[in-house]
Amino acid sequence: MEMFSYLLATGITTGALYALVALGIVVVYKATGVVNFAHGEMFMLGGFMAFTFHVMFGWPYLASLVLAVIGAFVLGIVVDRVAFRPLMQRQSLVSVLLAMVGLSFVLKGVARWLWGGKGDFLTFPPLVSPEPILFGGIMIMSQQLVVVGAAVAVMLVFVLFFRLTRAGRFMQATADNPKAAKLVGLRTDRVYMYTFAVGAAVAGAAAVLMAPLTMLYPDIGFALFIKAFAAAVLGGLTSITGAIVGGLLIGIIEQLSAGYIDTGLQEVAAFIVIMVVMVFLPTGLFGQRAGRRV
Amino acid sequence: MLGHLVGRRAFCLAVFAFLFVIPFGANQYFLFVANLMILFIILSLGLNLLIGFAGQLAFANASMYGIGAYGTGLLMKHFALPYWFSAPAGTLIAMSVGTLLALPALRLSGIYLALTTLAFAQFTLWLMMHWTPVTFGAGGFVPPPIDFGSLPVSGGQAIYFISWVVCVLLFFVAKHTMESPIGRAFVAIRDREIAAQSLGIDLLKYKALAFAMSGFFAGAAGALYAGVLGFVGPESFDLLQMVMHKAAVVLGGMGSIAGSVIGGVLIVVLQEGVKEIAFPIEIVFGGLLLLFMLFQPTGVVVLLKRWLPGWQEPLHYAPRRVRRAATQPAPAAAQAGED
Repeated sequence: MEMFSYLLATGITTGALYALVALGIVVVYKATGVVNFAHGEMFMLGGFMAFTFHVMFGWPYLASLVLAVIGAFVLGIVVDRVAFRPLMQRQSLVSVLLAMVGLSFVLKGVARWLWGGKGDFLTFPPLVSPEPILFGGIMIMSQQLVVVGAAVAVMLVFVLFFRLTRAGRFMQATADNPKAAKLVGLRTDRVYMYTFAVGAAVAGAAAVLMAPLTMLYPDIGFALFIKAFAAAVLGGLTSITGAIVGGLLIGIIEQLSAGYIDTGLQEVAAFIVIMVVMVFLPTGLFGQRAGRRV
Repeated sequence: MLGHLVGRRAFCLAVFAFLFVIPFGANQYFLFVANLMILFIILSLGLNLLIGFAGQLAFANASMYGIGAYGTGLLMKHFALPYWFSAPAGTLIAMSVGTLLALPALRLSGIYLALTTLAFAQFTLWLMMHWTPVTFGAGGFVPPPIDFGSLPVSGGQAIYFISWVVCVLLFFVAKHTMESPIGRAFVAIRDREIAAQSLGIDLLKYKALAFAMSGFFAGAAGALYAGVLGFVGPESFDLLQMVMHKAAVVLGGMGSIAGSVIGGVLIVVLQEGVKEIAFPIEIVFGGLLLLFMLFQPTGVVVLLKRWLPGWQEPLHYAPRRVRRAATQPAPAAAQAGED
């Protein structure tokens, strides 16, 4: 029981962060029909920027968080400008995806070049004291509470942004029907750009929250991308709720399979989920069923 | 005037002739590099059949390569089988796994297929690294030395000539299949799946064939790689390798057999050159992929076509205006929806 609650708490904590990264994938996919292959690199670079500000410059954590989120936002614009906008207008989906894969490798290479070699792991100081708190016999790390709380706050901000702000409604309108959005005068190209940017910003926030729990290394981006993608497809790839539920489920599945079956499964659980969901349940848990257009 | 003489046939002939004479003059290092070129020609031919001709964006080519190498090496190591048996067996294992990937490809396309195969590739890589009793884990293993029996050459040269022969054979297989109705069926599927289906093209059959062929090519390259390097380890088949295969196809020219030959040779030259100046290799190949997609998506062959009057490239890859997201009411789960 104690082990179960421990695994569950860890699973929910990491799952909440996967959910944040998955949110970005889902929002971009809904609006543009493309999965941002460089999304993991947005996460990784967000974390590295926070490391630079917080650890190397010694600035306060919150300031680093804000700066990293802004940095990731700008990177999202870069992805749109470099790999999406020029290609989507004249090329096929294959070209866009290949260009994004190329861009993600460039970003990864740059990070490795700027922040260290292949074996380097950057450590981030813990946010709060690592003392566990007892809740009626269940042990919870205070660190985890902080991270989950912050993740929920970011999700709330994100959802409210979509529901309440003008920019959020533009994005919703463009995702629902790009042609109509264009007809009523929305600059859809710009909306796409901000969608990429907002998705990247959320990934950056997730990275700063995750950094104190784990270590940062250039390959973390791809690892997180695959896990978040697993979360997103589990949730149907088009649903915000689905992304959050999927993220939590992936986090929990990982921890439970690692704790009860084999520790190695933690790494592959996401790959297996992707393959199983894709083959047997392509619309995920919350995705809408759509016919194939001819 | 010279330009009229330089056609695809002359060019490919020159490349293969050059690769044939290398062992007679080169030292160990150049022999190895030339052998890598041969392997990369095979790899990019195979991947081009899948991406350039059949239009299936799959990310599992590096793992097929790995399965070919591991299959061959492990059969030699665990069962002490000779190379002449293990190499074809490893190739066939890779081909069977590749064919299995065609099953999800029937229901998935575009992004879904890309990410499913990517997950599969990462899963294979994880197996290579963690299934220690069978695969010897992250450190890799050294298969027993190859016994070339009564061949007149030995060691590096023998495996070099074997690779050369396999490469030339596979080159002709790829060329002739792509000029046959099979190749045209591939192109039809790539351009519009449903239109192809309505013309009576059996999607299951041709997609399975495309995946099987590309699995066979990659597996053969892997089986040869196990012999060339004399060492098999998981780091040779990771994501970077995948990007290199993609870059080889894109650089040469998607949907061009001669382009694959160019791409394979270029990638190895670049790789060795970059190693020489110790520049981050990820930036080079990622950047090349990005720049070519942006500025020369049809690859080097189209430039050659423009500059050399003798170069008549039957372009199988015509980048078409996509159904842009903006024209789709709901891009949503369109590609994944069950028919």
